[in-house]
Amino acid sequence: MSPRLHVNFIKRLESVTLQMNFAIDTEILVLFGPSGAGKTQTLQAIAGLSTPDSGSITLDDTTFFQRVAGKPLINLPARKRRIGYVFQQYALFPHMSALENVAFPLAGRRNARDRAMELLERMHLAHLAHRMPHELSGGQQQRVAVARALATEPRVLLFDESFSALDRPIRERLHEEIRALQAERQLIVIYVTHNLDDAFAVGHRLAVVRDGRIEQIGRIDDVFTRPANQQVLNILGIPNAINARVVETGPSGALLDWNGITLEAPPIDAPRGAQVVAYIRPGDIRLIYPDHPLRPVVGSNHLEGVVVERRPERHVHCLRVALPDGRRIEAVYPASSYTTMNLTPGESVRLALRKESIVVIAVHQGAPHSDASRSDSRPERNPVSMSPS
Amino acid sequence: MNWPAFWLSLQVTAVASVIILVVGLAFALLLVRVRFPLKILVETAIMLPLVLPPSVIGYYLLLAFGRGSPLFEWFNIRILFTWQAAVAASVVVGLPLMVQSSRAALANVDPLLENAARTLGASEVRIFWRITLPLAQRGILAGMILGSARALGEFGATLMITGNIPGRTQTLPVAIYDAVQAQRYADAHLMVLVMTVLAFAGLLLARQLEPPTLGKRTRQPAEASI
Repeated sequence: MSPRLHVNFIKRLESVTLQMNFAIDTEILVLFGPSGAGKTQTLQAIAGLSTPDSGSITLDDTTFFQRVAGKPLINLPARKRRIGYVFQQYALFPHMSALENVAFPLAGRRNARDRAMELLERMHLAHLAHRMPHELSGGQQQRVAVARALATEPRVLLFDESFSALDRPIRERLHEEIRALQAERQLIVIYVTHNLDDAFAVGHRLAVVRDGRIEQIGRIDDVFTRPANQQVLNILGIPNAINARVVETGPSGALLDWNGITLEAPPIDAPRGAQVVAYIRPGDIRLIYPDHPLRPVVGSNHLEGVVVERRPERHVHCLRVALPDGRRIEAVYPASSYTTMNLTPGESVRLALRKESIVVIAVHQGAPHSDASRSDSRPERNPVSMSPS
Repeated sequence: MNWPAFWLSLQVTAVASVIILVVGLAFALLLVRVRFPLKILVETAIMLPLVLPPSVIGYYLLLAFGRGSPLFEWFNIRILFTWQAAVAASVVVGLPLMVQSSRAALANVDPLLENAARTLGASEVRIFWRITLPLAQRGILAGMILGSARALGEFGATLMITGNIPGRTQTLPVAIYDAVQAQRYADAHLMVLVMTVLAFAGLLLARQLEPPTLGKRTRQPAEASI
């Protein structure tokens, strides 16, 4: 299937210049990135609420926007684009009931009220149809907003941090609804968030946005296992990024020198002496019981350090370990593992990392010393997929 | 009690109120929605009657409607020394209050709601009637009541351009002045009481409308998060 929504535009803002270029199929794409990166502006440009400086935005055979040299200017007004937009602040009309809100886009059509009622039923809100927005909870208001956005029968649905103000259980239920709606109505969905849990819960693909550009776009697990560059690592909050030098490389693997620590890594397509940026997947790090011999985990790298902090999360624990020279490593393991181990801060601990847990994400060719410190030698930007022709 | 003056005052105020509502709302919209050069000068000029002495306003109105003015010569508008002149004076002094209040009310309507309506297929005209106006209506109404109350109390400029003809152009405030001049204090007492009650009721109503409770809940600066 070829992608349906093509977004390719430039817009200069005060703080950042947006240079967006991506394409979406019938799927849920998550735009993820720090605030100020340009996510909301991108949605607004697609919806027609703001006008890019140049570029084009097309959906199937419809051109929403076009300002390209040599072609006529096209800028379809927002009301004619039929794009559902669900705002973070709900944006329900406060002087209309839930039903009137949903019926608003249906005005003038036959059976507007019946249609609106069906949509409220679809969002499990029929019993609250006559409440005013201020009489509804946040989650209920957002369901009304979704129902209202669906009333125009949009092909594209945009969520702008729509659920970030809601409690986790409510958010999770809404995510299920969104996935169901997307499949049921074959929608193109763009979901903006700065919460990674949300991204995993709802998205098919992930676009990492930074400084008005997409650093990487791909299937969520691919982005996580193969981040394109250091910026993506930082934005995704992936710990354990390391700068290392290739000592040896061959078909069965490579040896990296990480400031004095030698690590076995998978084969690398880089010459000896090259500087590489890599990261150690936190979930692949094993802890070794103190009385345990190292033999069974042979083939792995071994590190020794001291526990700095253990942070329980919902299903996993995060363990931060300081190596003797002060460098930190973060390990993530299931909450049910290592329960008999003493992992209070200050305890020494041994770590084992399989060589597959080391992922090289960028190679700096050339002299070992020059590149790593220069700020402008950013790793190659991963080309954004599927640029419109 | 001077009943003809009372009824004339009501008539003048009613007509002036309608004009204040329509013209004031148009000005408020212009100031909120349209960007144009020297806007601040236009805003200031609209507010000017709040601080100018009534005699100055009266003088300008004499110039505007008198012999030799474009209105007089080209459009054949001859309203000086008629009750319509009292309407003109009332409109000029009531307008600033209307513009101020309704402008604040319109500006206070969350642009997010208007944007939401746009994505839902609504035209700008429909957005104005269904979203903006209902959400701003309290402030607009309050402005109209304040403007009307001010119009009812208009005295100085009215005196200058209506000629104070009893039964034809004499409004209640002017009649009070007349009664005091002629030392008819019983008359004056009653008329003063009526004026005070009307003005008090108007202000009370305006005050109760003033804090708009609708449309504020979701207020957030537009495009705050990029």
